[in-house]
Amino acid sequence: MKKIITFFLFTCLFFVLMPPLKTFAGFPIGKYRNVIVPTFSYYHQKDRFDDKDNVIKGAPGTGFTSYSANLYIGYGISRRLDFIAIIPYLYQQNVIAPGNTLIDAGLGDMTVGLSYNLVNFNYIRFLSIGVSGIVPLYKSSNGISPLGLGNYGTEVKLMYCGNLPKDVASKGYFNAEFAYRKYYDSQGPDQISFTGTVGYPITKHNQLSLDILLFRSFSSNKTFNSNIFAAHDYSFFKPQLNFGHTFTRKFSMFVGGFYVPFGVNTGVGYGSSVLAVIKL
Amino acid sequence: MKRISYLIILSFIMLSAFSLKVAAQEEETEETGDIVLKAVPQNKNALFKDYEEVKYKLQIRNNTNEFQKGTISYLITTDEGKKIALSSFPLSIKGKADKELIIKVPPRSTGFYRINFMVNLPDYDDTVRRVFGVNPEQITSQLYKPADFDAFWKQSREQLAKVVPSYRVLERKDLSTDEKKVYAVEMHSYGNLVIRGWLVIPRDGKNFPVHYRVPGYVVTLKPNMDNDDFIAFDLNVRGNGNSQDIINIGTDNYSVVNIENKDKYIYRGVYMDCLRGLDFLYSHPNLGIDTSKIFVEGGSQGGSLALITAALDKRVKLLTIQVPLYADIHDNYSISESYERQVFPFKVFRKYQSQHAGFTWDKFYSTWDYYDPQNFAQMVKCPVLMGIGLLDQFCPPRCSMALYNHISSTNKEFVCVPNSTHEVNFNYFMFQNLWLREKFRIP
Repeated sequence: MKKIITFFLFTCLFFVLMPPLKTFAGFPIGKYRNVIVPTFSYYHQKDRFDDKDNVIKGAPGTGFTSYSANLYIGYGISRRLDFIAIIPYLYQQNVIAPGNTLIDAGLGDMTVGLSYNLVNFNYIRFLSIGVSGIVPLYKSSNGISPLGLGNYGTEVKLMYCGNLPKDVASKGYFNAEFAYRKYYDSQGPDQISFTGTVGYPITKHNQLSLDILLFRSFSSNKTFNSNIFAAHDYSFFKPQLNFGHTFTRKFSMFVGGFYVPFGVNTGVGYGSSVLAVIKL
Repeated sequence: MKRISYLIILSFIMLSAFSLKVAAQEEETEETGDIVLKAVPQNKNALFKDYEEVKYKLQIRNNTNEFQKGTISYLITTDEGKKIALSSFPLSIKGKADKELIIKVPPRSTGFYRINFMVNLPDYDDTVRRVFGVNPEQITSQLYKPADFDAFWKQSREQLAKVVPSYRVLERKDLSTDEKKVYAVEMHSYGNLVIRGWLVIPRDGKNFPVHYRVPGYVVTLKPNMDNDDFIAFDLNVRGNGNSQDIINIGTDNYSVVNIENKDKYIYRGVYMDCLRGLDFLYSHPNLGIDTSKIFVEGGSQGGSLALITAALDKRVKLLTIQVPLYADIHDNYSISESYERQVFPFKVFRKYQSQHAGFTWDKFYSTWDYYDPQNFAQMVKCPVLMGIGLLDQFCPPRCSMALYNHISSTNKEFVCVPNSTHEVNFNYFMFQNLWLREKFRIP
């Protein structure tokens, strides 16, 4: 009979092991469940990195600023298969010289795709693959400060996430993503990125998380573009620290700040973001 | 830039690799000994189709420094212990070395089979016992349902309804925490017996689904403090835990109390206690109970109690059971005859029978046919999740699957844990958690 009791000890565990999440990343959303994540981000750059990773001071009065609102929609088609869509709206101010500001606003590059859980490791860690299409929701020709590269693209992403190993931390979660994105244009670009996230609950309702993003975009077009959304050949490293609060089981919010300490042929950017996770 | 980038990537890769390694280790339990024999079925859950070969990978590890020479063999028997295959191979293995063999068994017909792998060396003999299943969802069984079965339980329910519950709900501040309120719950049940349970309500929210748990065989349920998203209601049926005022019997005799009289058999009251627990939940929505989301769960005897609760009361919305005790009691008896040593529950029944002249097995069934969980299965209409352990002798997998196949709900799933005895594993409960959230649409 003693073994019967072990049933119930196990039940003690499964409710505790569900990690709090900022975004769903490689975690399967779950059949019939919906997640909506609206995000508001601010990005600004004044100085830039040259092609040798040296910081070049921007001309006085110049700079690039972007305000963006992203809407992430996730729907669990089955236990393993999720539909994902990300629709961005951008507002940009590109001050190329004092008194000469290029402003544009509108929908950006939409990402639409599927995420499939390849392997789950005891429902604690998950290995998933995501395949998405990139669809520009604007006409590149009518933007004075382009809202994107203006080309269709494809992204393949491998995601591994789950609880932190017990030997590392008694609670918390991680997510690691490797992505390859290709734009269908003679100048590309081809992009690879690595995103790593570690989250740690500091109280029952509050958590801290650290994201790091390593990004490399390859193109024959080596021209520096202060508009990060329209640049072709560049790379950067971006850490972001977030604080999250869970209000209810269905509603959480996160605020975060980031900075680009290293880069090549890109801006020395910094900014912040606010996002809400709404589970329906 | 490059060096720091590489360093960070490397850190994350190491973390990921480390967690993969941990995941792999969590799946395995390391065995030790001079010779270690491990049998791994080709299909992870050890379930096969009747058209496919049954394959096992045998991994033999020689931990000694000596060269070993002997035989390795396997024996397949049916649930009744009938020998159907025996094969032997020479084995030679160097010191501190590993060897792998693939065992292929021709396709078998529907059922469960015991397969024993034996290593025989000059200084070492060992047997690894495993069970595999073939087409478990096609297993059928005969129902021995008395003609007045429905009337019997209708009458039982009517008698229960006449008992005024006189609910008492007492907050136990000494057991409550900052996050959860604990209530001791008391009510009158069938035969006017007082039964008790524990209600644990998270403070963080207003309306919660309910995890209603019924106990295993003479198991004491205590407040379940681990559900953050559910109200936990744990009911000690008569003779269990804190419901032992009148009936206080040990495990050796509990299942035979009044077994010779179907009307007075202990389980009549026990089954009704489970329904009374449901009455309690439905009469207390003021405590934050979401009565549209009540799931009943239990393991072993609790598995059967949960199934019977869902069968007799449609207010149960989901049912999760593990290794349901007493399922297909006729077949359980037949299978138990093949055991070298008797185990529960027929160990208790056989002992009683040997001590009571005139108590025949026909007499036994004239009572038990009213209580066999299998006879309730067709009345279950809600979604069901069941977990079984293939090495279970208390609840043989054939009996559990016969019960499962009689469940009339089409929204049902089962999880098979090949190396478990009378229990399921952590993985099952992780899945159960996801399953519940999926069915109840819990974020």
